[in-house]
Amino acid sequence: MITTTNLTRTFINGTVTTPVLRGIDLTIDSGEFVSIMGRSGAGKSTLLYQLSLLDEPTSGEIVIEGVNARTMSADEKSAFRLNRFGFVFQDYALLPELTALENVAMPLLMQGLDKKAAYEKAEKALAKVHLAHRVAGLPSQLSGGEQQRVSIARAVAHEPGILFADEPTANLDNESSQAILAIFTEFYQAGQTIIMVTHEEEFASHAERIIKIDDGQIVSDKKLGK
Amino acid sequence: MARHSHTALNAKVGLFLALRQLRRSNPWTTSLIIFVMVLTFLNLVVVSGILVGLIQGAVDATREKYTSDVIVSSLSDKEYIETTGNVLSIIDAMPEVESFTPRYRESARLEANYKTRRDDEKPNTAGAQLVGIDASSEHAVTSIRDNLVEGSFIEAGDYDQVVLGHYLLKQYLPIESPAFTTLEDVGVGTKIRMRVGDVTKEVTVKGIVKTKVDEISLSAFMSDSQMRGLIGRSDGNVDEIAIKVKDGIDPAVVRDHLLLYGVGNVAKVQTFEDAQPKFLKDMIATFALLGTVFSSLGLAVAAITIFIVIFINAITRRKFIGILKGIGISGQAIEFSYVFQSIFYAVAGSAIGLVLLYGLLSPAIAANPIDFPFSDGILVAPLGETFTRIGILISVTLLAGYIPARIIVRKNTLSSILGRN
Repeated sequence: MITTTNLTRTFINGTVTTPVLRGIDLTIDSGEFVSIMGRSGAGKSTLLYQLSLLDEPTSGEIVIEGVNARTMSADEKSAFRLNRFGFVFQDYALLPELTALENVAMPLLMQGLDKKAAYEKAEKALAKVHLAHRVAGLPSQLSGGEQQRVSIARAVAHEPGILFADEPTANLDNESSQAILAIFTEFYQAGQTIIMVTHEEEFASHAERIIKIDDGQIVSDKKLGK
Repeated sequence: MARHSHTALNAKVGLFLALRQLRRSNPWTTSLIIFVMVLTFLNLVVVSGILVGLIQGAVDATREKYTSDVIVSSLSDKEYIETTGNVLSIIDAMPEVESFTPRYRESARLEANYKTRRDDEKPNTAGAQLVGIDASSEHAVTSIRDNLVEGSFIEAGDYDQVVLGHYLLKQYLPIESPAFTTLEDVGVGTKIRMRVGDVTKEVTVKGIVKTKVDEISLSAFMSDSQMRGLIGRSDGNVDEIAIKVKDGIDPAVVRDHLLLYGVGNVAKVQTFEDAQPKFLKDMIATFALLGTVFSSLGLAVAAITIFIVIFINAITRRKFIGILKGIGISGQAIEFSYVFQSIFYAVAGSAIGLVLLYGLLSPAIAANPIDFPFSDGILVAPLGETFTRIGILISVTLLAGYIPARIIVRKNTLSSILGRN
């Protein structure tokens, strides 16, 4: 479970101060599939970075699984991301010199698994995203949709508590986007907590809850009753 | 313990990343970096090796042509080695000695064209060291004979014949100096006049030797039997004895034994190293210092090269470094990956450099020494010293790879992912 209390984030560039998040109070329960929506610049990605401990809030509290983020050191946050979070980036963010299998195995190796065990888990994760036949492919040899599925496999291979996705379909055609959302739905149905940022209504509707943000504030928080 | 195992895990992940980055990087870029490291290695070892070898060539030549391994010479306040017979007996009885050659040595004035010279003409003269040798024992100890450039060398029974060092002849050393004169129009077969003390003797030039050892190049050689008569020394006492020791024997051992037998009371006993003139020792120290300076510059160039390579590599991959950190890969593991890559470049460059050095350069220069004006330069690169330099190169490279990696890794994770400054 994630809880935020009066969360703010302000960017300061010289003399220019830009408040991006303005007092976000939010609770996301385990097993929820949440879409965060909003127009460009509304603050949805900034909120995702806060929730996933990639950025520091200006003020307010974030409590994840009972731990207050303010009490965590940088190393602890890194370990938390490694062990408890999975992250899917908009532009796939695969390492170009690593094969699909190696990309997926990276966090597992960092968790201390030996190479054989890491590769076995990575293969299973790739099979879950229907890429068992592309394990040896380098990112440059994969289509955009395939790369995003590898990115998802990397995010879930270590069975994280929460899967974060930042506009995962933004760079994909409709067919690939539908395939990605189908995979997310499968994971959600299997009990995975998913927090996804998107600006597309259609894709957001795959979630069970849609939080809309505008000008750094939550303007609507709707359960779709799935 | 936990920290230790964490570091080991980071190193393991770093190695995993480094190997894959190296394996799948552009082969031309990798080759270019390794090529730079090869040049750096050669700069580090060869430049200083040649500088040292330049002097070493002179030292070796002096040992090979003049002093041999141990030189016994007259005390500074004596004209010759007294009781030479006893000294020779001691030397002859030493099992460490391979061979030895006694020599007579006296200052002489050489003069040419004295028959045709008009009274108002300047005499055609040169000062020389006249050296009386036993040709066969000399050949067993030194290789002066191999440096003959004209005519033939002194043989047993030769009479009224001399072999001249090339510095005594103007055609080999065209110097115009009132302090240093050479003989003009003198070649093999030319008759010259020698004045030793009060004795003047007409001799024929039998041959000319050319070396880069001043003691040889400024000498005139004749048979010892004739020189004994010329200087009026019939007691068998000589001026110096060059001793060649057996392979694997330290010349200092022979020197010490001779001193132990009391030879030091009648003669100066020196190894070839002891006998080096001070200026040569100073030059060795100077060139070693220069070699260190050049090596340090080479190291600095290597460090800067690797720093730039890794910095550019890391800065262009900043987004991926951010992503790695974002998914929980530790900064230390990422730093390790760059350090391992740096070490790979240094090791690969050094390995290729070693093959080039010991497989090609060193044997080639040994077979064809570099023709410096005062020595035949060789390449001095002892294996132990080379490996020390490789160790230094790898250490410097490691540091040069670590620093830029750390600079980039320490940047804010989100800023790296988003490409913000």
